Amino acid sequence: MATIVNVTEEKALQVKDFEFTYAGADEPSIKKLTMPIAKNSITALIGPSGCGKTTLLRSFNRMHDLYPGNNYKGEILFKDKNILDAKEDLIDLRINIGMIFQKPTAFPMSVYNNVAYGMRLKGIKNKTELDDRVEKALKNAAIWNEVKDRLKHDADGLSGGQQQRLCIARAIAVEPEVLLFDEPTSALDPISTSGIEELIVELKKSVSIIIVTHNMQQAARVSDYTGFMYLGELIELGRTEELFVTPKEKLTEEYITGKFG
Amino acid sequence: MTHTQKRIIANNIVMVLSTTSALIGMGFLFWILSVLIINGVDALSFSIFTNEGAPPGYENSGLKHALIGQFMIVGVATIVGVPFGILAGTYLSEYGQKSKLAETIRDVSDIMMSAPSIVIGAFVYSIVVAPMGHFSGWAGSVALTIIMLPIILRTTDDMLQLVPSTLREAAFALGAPKYKVIMQVVYRGAKVGVLTGILLGIARVAGETAPLLFTSFNDNFLNTDMGEPMASLTVTMYNYATSPYEDWQKLGWAAAFILSMFILSLNIIGRLLIMKRKEK
Repeated sequence: MATIVNVTEEKALQVKDFEFTYAGADEPSIKKLTMPIAKNSITALIGPSGCGKTTLLRSFNRMHDLYPGNNYKGEILFKDKNILDAKEDLIDLRINIGMIFQKPTAFPMSVYNNVAYGMRLKGIKNKTELDDRVEKALKNAAIWNEVKDRLKHDADGLSGGQQQRLCIARAIAVEPEVLLFDEPTSALDPISTSGIEELIVELKKSVSIIIVTHNMQQAARVSDYTGFMYLGELIELGRTEELFVTPKEKLTEEYITGKFG
Repeated sequence: MTHTQKRIIANNIVMVLSTTSALIGMGFLFWILSVLIINGVDALSFSIFTNEGAPPGYENSGLKHALIGQFMIVGVATIVGVPFGILAGTYLSEYGQKSKLAETIRDVSDIMMSAPSIVIGAFVYSIVVAPMGHFSGWAGSVALTIIMLPIILRTTDDMLQLVPSTLREAAFALGAPKYKVIMQVVYRGAKVGVLTGILLGIARVAGETAPLLFTSFNDNFLNTDMGEPMASLTVTMYNYATSPYEDWQKLGWAAAFILSMFILSLNIIGRLLIMKRKEK
């Protein structure tokens, strides 16, 4: 059984006996996983490649539904509702639970239209309101000063780090309650990485954050809670400072001291 | 002789052979182009664009009827073929994906792309021309649409698949419904590639003659009624070039020149677009 620390904060998400099986696979990639996600905190998911951390992350906004034949079991509670329910409105879910990807995914349109994209989907058409919220989102994503004079320019012209912050601006512009980060800095240089990390810490005031990372130092730097996953199971969830200093599980200790992974 | 020397000699022989072959191929291309340009430019005059066909020996005969006929037949084929091709390509890339139906459509359209166009002409003859009882511009457009469709369908499919799936996922992750993801993100990402496919598709059908002989046939005078037989540059060129009258042969050269320049420019624009896309 996994060692799970008592999460004292309010919960943003509650995973209960969750199982996930990819289309055509015999074995589930995630097995009977139970895990609380604290509200307005940063939860990092670490573990060796193939441990299921990205699979778990992509379950929170039901990204797996884009590809046929994938199978969920158990519960993921969000606002007291099981989001795995067949009746769940995925469009609504994804507006509430946003996602930032490994590689920047700026759309082939202007900087402004990128940020306005999600808001327009929500039905916001008023030009002044859009302008205000685009500016606010870009400011919150710490990229406003760099792009304020090129809002009408193609987003392709921005650097990788700028594009990633643009994607964060686009995601926070729709005011989600949870943001999922899938290795958001693995394609970026160290300076852009530290910029994104600072931004993530800043963002937890308004959203709950789950971040998958290959980089243990990153998990240690930014997160409040860290979950260590191995072979599709949660081995340990602890407060980050405790998990890295005094891990309760032997496997966790071996992983964070670099004995495998 | 050492091993290295043997290798150098073998290398030189292959290099000379392949370079010569390439030059021979290029030589024919430039030969064709130069003969075409010399005779075509010589035959070209302003009246060609303003006058219709005339019996041999008459002055002031032109290609206006063929140009307009060509434009209408290819135009209708494009108006019908492009949306169908893009929609079908969208189905393959975004909905059908790797399903059996989608893979079958891909295979069939690949076969159709290499089908002899004269067979398609004969097919349209039997389903359109024979029941109608006469040749018509519409029948010509039907034949060209059939030839164009698989080209546009497959390039659209390929180009849409080149759009990274993470871009689609990012749009879905913002709560976009599928049709908006396709129209606002995937199409935008692939627009240059799809446009190239359209241009190359038009270029391909604009040079077709065999299917038009079976369908739109020909008309020596201006006709803008698609329900009637219609002149086209290609069939006109075929008739004029094989005629014994010198003035008609000259018009044939002019038609060949105009047609080649049109197709050449479509191809060049298509290639420029591809290059521009690769720079990004």
